Amino acid sequence: MATQMTFQSRGSGVKPPEKGSFPLDHDGECKAFMTKYMRCLRGNMKENTKCRQESMDYLNCRMEKNLMLKEDWKKLGYSDMVKDQDSTSTTSSNKAE
Amino acid sequence: MSVLCTLASVSTSPVVLRTSLASSNFQLPVRLCAASVKYSVMQVARMSVLSFSQNCVSLQPMRMLWQWGPFKVQKCFAHNQLLHRTEGLPRATQGILRRVRGASWNNVLGHRLIIMDSKSKDTYHRRTGLIYVCAAGIFMLGMSYAGVPLYRMFCQATGLGGTISRGHDTSKIETMQAVPERSIKIRFNADVASSMRWNFKPQQTEVKVLPGETALAFYTAKNPTDKPIIGISTYNVVPFEAGQYFNKIQCFCFEEQRLNPHEQVDMPVFFYIDPEFAEDPKLQGVETITLSYTFFEAKEGFQVPLPGYMTQAQ
Repeated sequence: MATQMTFQSRGSGVKPPEKGSFPLDHDGECKAFMTKYMRCLRGNMKENTKCRQESMDYLNCRMEKNLMLKEDWKKLGYSDMVKDQDSTSTTSSNKAE
Repeated sequence: MSVLCTLASVSTSPVVLRTSLASSNFQLPVRLCAASVKYSVMQVARMSVLSFSQNCVSLQPMRMLWQWGPFKVQKCFAHNQLLHRTEGLPRATQGILRRVRGASWNNVLGHRLIIMDSKSKDTYHRRTGLIYVCAAGIFMLGMSYAGVPLYRMFCQATGLGGTISRGHDTSKIETMQAVPERSIKIRFNADVASSMRWNFKPQQTEVKVLPGETALAFYTAKNPTDKPIIGISTYNVVPFEAGQYFNKIQCFCFEEQRLNPHEQVDMPVFFYIDPEFAEDPKLQGVETITLSYTFFEAKEGFQVPLPGYMTQAQ
């Protein structure tokens, strides 16, 4: 409750993540995708909107390498990206579950 | 052998019922010493049974009655009544004891007759009342403990006081739309506890995000030592009011993360800012949110207490 917020109390601010914790990528399997994402961010003035595709790639890599539970893209908030892909691409997307 | 208790009618004046105790159930040898009284084994057993069922306490026999023969006077508590059991007493003594409050006799058939007068009734009522009061006190204490989970369930059901109900967020993510007018800069900060020897830093200093858009950010941690170190992290969002809208889908916090010696890993944070952020009047001028992670070294069996009282949703 924000009205009772003091400097010490962080009761409403800190929440556990919805899907829990990412398993650590000890072997750096998805490091390449991460670098691509970082490069995109730096090139686009750190705007997340322009780098959605790269972040999707990274999460896809994680899902394939079993470092993340496979989820529908819509549930991860990429419904706009999925719609674009369905309308533009003719070949079946390799981002299926 | 069961002892039947028949209550005299309740009235202010004591009601006395005469019984003959001439032939007692016990054969008591005549001895003047009150300290040791010989009974046969069966008698002792029977008396013990009676005593146990009536919760009796032996009293020191009154001195003046010693000369009258061996006897036993016990103060008994049965059904909140004060009883005096007298066995083997001559009649005259019984007559004296008759006037004692709550006196009773064993008659030949083993029936117990209880005299109740106003005083023992009062004791009975007082004791009953006291038990009721104690029970009420314990009930209140129990309710105060039960109130915590009950209130929590109530709040989650009704959403009172801004409690975020579990599980509504996944459906929200699917349908939420980005709000293009409010672009927010998320700054990243990384901290390590003083005794923690990891090198922990964010990969990007800031990211510009729209509310309602999911975003990815990276931190890097390196273990420069020769020993594996287990770390556990927690996070903080400033300003506090914005923290309510900061939702993490997946991250690396609140769980133990193990780094082998000289290992470096990338730790992603996948989050979004609730689109309702744009409608909050308190956060109208807010354009920067700082996300700060702190890593601690995990000790054996150490559990970071989860904030609030939610368990990990997974």
